[in-house]
Amino acid sequence: MKQIEVNPVTRIEGHAKITVQMDDDGNVSDAHFHVMEIRGFEKFLEGAAVEEAPRITPRICGICQTAHHLSSAKATDAVFGLEPPETAKKLRELMLMGQYIHSHSLHFYFLGAPDLVMGPDSDPAERNVVGIIKKDPELAKMAIKTRAVGQRITAAVGGKPIHPVTAVPGGQSKALSAEERDELLKDARNAVELIENGLKIAKPLFEEYSDAVESLGPVKTYFGGLTDSGKLSFYDGSMKIVDKDGSAVHEFEAADYLDYIEEKVQPWSYLKFPYLKQVGFPDGNYRVGPLARLNIVDSIPTENASALYDEFKDKYGVAQNPLLYHYARLIELMYAGERAVELLEDQDITGTDIISTINEPLMTRKDAETSDVTMRGVGIIEAPRGSLIHDYQTDGAGIIQKANLIVATGQNNLSMDIGVRETAKAMIHGDEISEGLKNRLEMVIRAYDPCLSCATHMLNGESPLVVDLHDSNGKLFKREII
Amino acid sequence: MVKIALEWLASCSGCEISVLDLHEDLLKLLDNAEIVYAPVLVDTKEIPDDIDIALVSGSVRNQENKRRLGELREKSKILIAYGTCACYGGITGMADLYSPEEVTKRIYSDNPSTEPSEVPSEVVPELLPIVHPAGELAEIDYYLPGCPPKEGVVKDILIPLINGEKPNIPKKSVCADCSRKMEHKEFNTLHRRVEGEPDPEKCFLSQGYVCLGSATLGRCGALCTRAGIPCHGCGGPSLDILREPNHDIYNCIISRITHLSKMPEKEVEKQMYDIGHLIYGFCIGSSIMEDKKVSLIPQLVKK
Repeated sequence: MKQIEVNPVTRIEGHAKITVQMDDDGNVSDAHFHVMEIRGFEKFLEGAAVEEAPRITPRICGICQTAHHLSSAKATDAVFGLEPPETAKKLRELMLMGQYIHSHSLHFYFLGAPDLVMGPDSDPAERNVVGIIKKDPELAKMAIKTRAVGQRITAAVGGKPIHPVTAVPGGQSKALSAEERDELLKDARNAVELIENGLKIAKPLFEEYSDAVESLGPVKTYFGGLTDSGKLSFYDGSMKIVDKDGSAVHEFEAADYLDYIEEKVQPWSYLKFPYLKQVGFPDGNYRVGPLARLNIVDSIPTENASALYDEFKDKYGVAQNPLLYHYARLIELMYAGERAVELLEDQDITGTDIISTINEPLMTRKDAETSDVTMRGVGIIEAPRGSLIHDYQTDGAGIIQKANLIVATGQNNLSMDIGVRETAKAMIHGDEISEGLKNRLEMVIRAYDPCLSCATHMLNGESPLVVDLHDSNGKLFKREII
Repeated sequence: MVKIALEWLASCSGCEISVLDLHEDLLKLLDNAEIVYAPVLVDTKEIPDDIDIALVSGSVRNQENKRRLGELREKSKILIAYGTCACYGGITGMADLYSPEEVTKRIYSDNPSTEPSEVPSEVVPELLPIVHPAGELAEIDYYLPGCPPKEGVVKDILIPLINGEKPNIPKKSVCADCSRKMEHKEFNTLHRRVEGEPDPEKCFLSQGYVCLGSATLGRCGALCTRAGIPCHGCGGPSLDILREPNHDIYNCIISRITHLSKMPEKEVEKQMYDIGHLIYGFCIGSSIMEDKKVSLIPQLVKK
């Protein structure tokens, strides 16, 4: 028996590898997608003041940091029973549009597009964003400019472009000035144009590579995502689940997620496998993210994105093919640009009523020790890669006792695994495996834009492997890891 | 062409994004440099030989991280510990507040949404029991903390290095860039961040909110305090704290609040509501910070 490895899977966020097992006849007997890394956020949030969570959890991921920041802030609103003022909600939604513009354009242009623009079988040394810069400098500049708009929105609203800080329990810590608004509005209008131009280049690629679209990563699943009464909505809404034909099976509020979602552990991946609890594992496999969102909503409430959505639905219906995640991502990129313009044109956005505060001081930690009071808050948001849940339980002083996170990428884990296996089985025969064929396995993974930094927020080590050498005064002078 | 490599260990990828946040300047950088290895951007699977400048981000969490770090050091002329995780362990170091067994249990067996299971152990790399900043397991040429390093600093440091010039590295604390007024106030209570609304003109410490600006290396332009949020220390300890054996983040902050309020030191210590996440949040994994005689890290970590 022989094993083929792709390690590391590149042009994704984080650490993963693919293994393919071959039998003696040269056919694929099994294949898996392994997530290789873990950290430990759910545990180490315990003991932290809950208002610190929105600035600790963005460090789960440097790409979808704003989504963690906001899902976390929404959970803390719920812990303290605070309703953010309208302006604060709009600022948060605007920050989230900055997140989408940055993350979706990063993924398409910098990570995913090289496979389509340069071709799946092109020289791996050229099949990257630097290759695109050389081949089509104008396209590369457009990509850079689009993403920069997203980061500028996040910086102006969130305080910083990476790891924003301004969402706090009950609202926002920083208002948007009229000058900042004017600048951002120019930027956002410009982004809509840039995205339009990008789509002109991107859309024909799905025709050109229709074979790959139809053959890579086949899987049929349920889909889940937030919606505001059937409309696409990233910041708020209820979680809707549809089956593979697009019929609704559940609609629930964030706080009730434990009745609908459960996670399975497999021995060969650090990343867990969420599934629909009432259907069971593995039949209850569901997917989230751009394609899932287009499958669960009835409409997109902005002009250009709405037209693109109609065109997409006419052509693909309830779309299942993973490569169409790229297409759906571009439609959402347009929505994010247009929605940013709408929010910036709204008079409320420069309002200064941006925070609701608690009326009395918190219980002290000492008093909380002898009190039975507990508080809980669940926050849910659509991160670029899908639904993201933060669930915190605290004592009476608002100190976190338990935290649970369900991140977007986990919910696509089983489909990535199945997709890799089915693709390997269909395409790999015999001993000769071309680089382009291995790249096609990676393309299945890449389509989902997995964020393994997010996915691996989980844990740390198991057995002691460190040798510390101390001098006669007890001072550490050497640490060896074996 | 200068050959550049970007490697990430246990990290959030924010450091890699900070390099991309050079935006149009990225194109300028690529006039003189070639990215020979960067799993986030290019498909090179093995670390190539003869790298001129390598940036390593993240902390060392498992055997695979450790192996790649060693290989990168061997193959690079200049190795930069890039970002606070690589320099001091960063937020990931908070995992050291709990024992490995406690953490594992929470994730795989005592978790409200998970069917109780064994810890995964097939194919996945073996984990190390504590977090190590990359900078403590390999010889490093430059330490560049920041969570992540801000794009201005990246530009001012990376571009001169590529051009073979000595970069000018700022050395001040966050307070030096903060416009809030520090003043003595007769207050007697520390506030949680969720209590009250801080005055936007005045120093957070002067109002009884815990802010680490005075103890933190500032290459950020005090972005957080300008946005109404106290400093959490993401830039890593200030040079003063790094250099002086008896200076530590905890004693620096306690003594400042004592000076600014009417509370005796003991009372400030009594009211400090969290030390692990709030004071040492970005450097719990750092031996440099742990080995100081005055450090409270040894009391906090479980190994």
